[in-house]
Amino acid sequence: MVGKNCFAIASDRRLGVQLQTIATDFQKIYKIHDKLFIGLAGLATDAQTLHQKLVFRHKLYQLREERDMKPETFASLVSALLYEKRFGPYFCQPVIAGLGDEDKPFICTMDSIGAKELAKDFVVAGTASESLYGACESMFKPDMEAEELFETISQALLSSVDRDCLSGWGGHVYLVTPTEVTERILKGRMD
Amino acid sequence: MSRRYDSRTTIFSPEGRLYQVEYAMEAIGNAGTAIGILSTDGVVLVGEKKVVSKLLETSTSVEKMYKIDDHVACAVAGIMSDANILINTARLQAQRYAYAYQEPMPVEQLVQSLCDTKQGYTQFGGLRPFGVSFLFAGWDKNYGFQLYMSDPSGNFSGWKAAAIGANNQAAQSILKQDYKDDITREEAVQLAIKVLSKTMDSTSLNSEKLELSEIFLSSGKVKFHVWSADKLNKLLVKSGLTQPAADA
Repeated sequence: MVGKNCFAIASDRRLGVQLQTIATDFQKIYKIHDKLFIGLAGLATDAQTLHQKLVFRHKLYQLREERDMKPETFASLVSALLYEKRFGPYFCQPVIAGLGDEDKPFICTMDSIGAKELAKDFVVAGTASESLYGACESMFKPDMEAEELFETISQALLSSVDRDCLSGWGGHVYLVTPTEVTERILKGRMD
Repeated sequence: MSRRYDSRTTIFSPEGRLYQVEYAMEAIGNAGTAIGILSTDGVVLVGEKKVVSKLLETSTSVEKMYKIDDHVACAVAGIMSDANILINTARLQAQRYAYAYQEPMPVEQLVQSLCDTKQGYTQFGGLRPFGVSFLFAGWDKNYGFQLYMSDPSGNFSGWKAAAIGANNQAAQSILKQDYKDDITREEAVQLAIKVLSKTMDSTSLNSEKLELSEIFLSSGKVKFHVWSADKLNKLLVKSGLTQPAADA
């Protein structure tokens, strides 16, 4: 979700195989660099592999270009990587959030074969995406400050995952401003 | 000297020598010196810059030191374009290992892998060898801080202190006398610039002619840090190896 010169990215913490919950502290949001985060919803093995491939590509980019990747560029990279597997895709939906030039917030999501969806306000992904769309649409306001943005995204996340049996077991929220990154764990309904 | 056996890299001369490889090492003997010193808490690399011109954009480009991965860096001596290819290869190899094993590539394995590439050019393909020597400096959890030197033949070994490029024999002999096993990183920096000043042609050093970098541990993570021109100038003035600006 985009705020005033900041953004927040949040996920739930459940890892499950259909009805069995395997882990309640599973990390779905990965840091690429201080001002770029990617959340990967979907099949855990594909999310992990995709993240490892992205680290590979970004490290080489950093060494060659001597700078960090811009979020827009990174989104194109993710999209290209996903489309390479067009006929045998990764079962993963990424949510990308970062601060671009002049610390302007950038967010986007894409489907599992790389169709980018840019937005100015919020993007969602996962099994609870329909609830998330509804919650975000009603709770979002433009140009929220960091603390208010955190409250909004947390409420939207927790209320949506409560309507989904496959999501939940708390929340994980990263709030990113040009100067700092705050990581918080949310305690929701643990079921 | 049998000139008949020069042109093909992939054949031996009757005396059992590979001339192309030796000629490659000649090319490096004309390049700017680079020195590496292993200390108890880090590795120091210094290099002599050959391209000294006011017109050169110095803010972004670094001539002799390159980062291969977060925990490994190298200094080069020789043909820069050849070096760029090999550095790129080394970076790819390091990332492929990290992708496969989800941990940083051990320094010796990285050097081995790059040297295997270099060796290939001395045995098949009919292409000339790379005209570059490297000094690899890095840290891994198996052997701690390490320094390796590799040459165009694909040969490499681990060193406590090593020099490549012009006047490397002179540098190596000074290092042999003055190096001690428990040298600290600070002392190694002093020793490195002292040796370089003795082997370089010019009478006084300044940060335009030198590059200095270190690999060390900081809060448990490996850091590769290239010294800024200011800091380097201050050190050179303090060591008495350069005239302070007031004199000029």
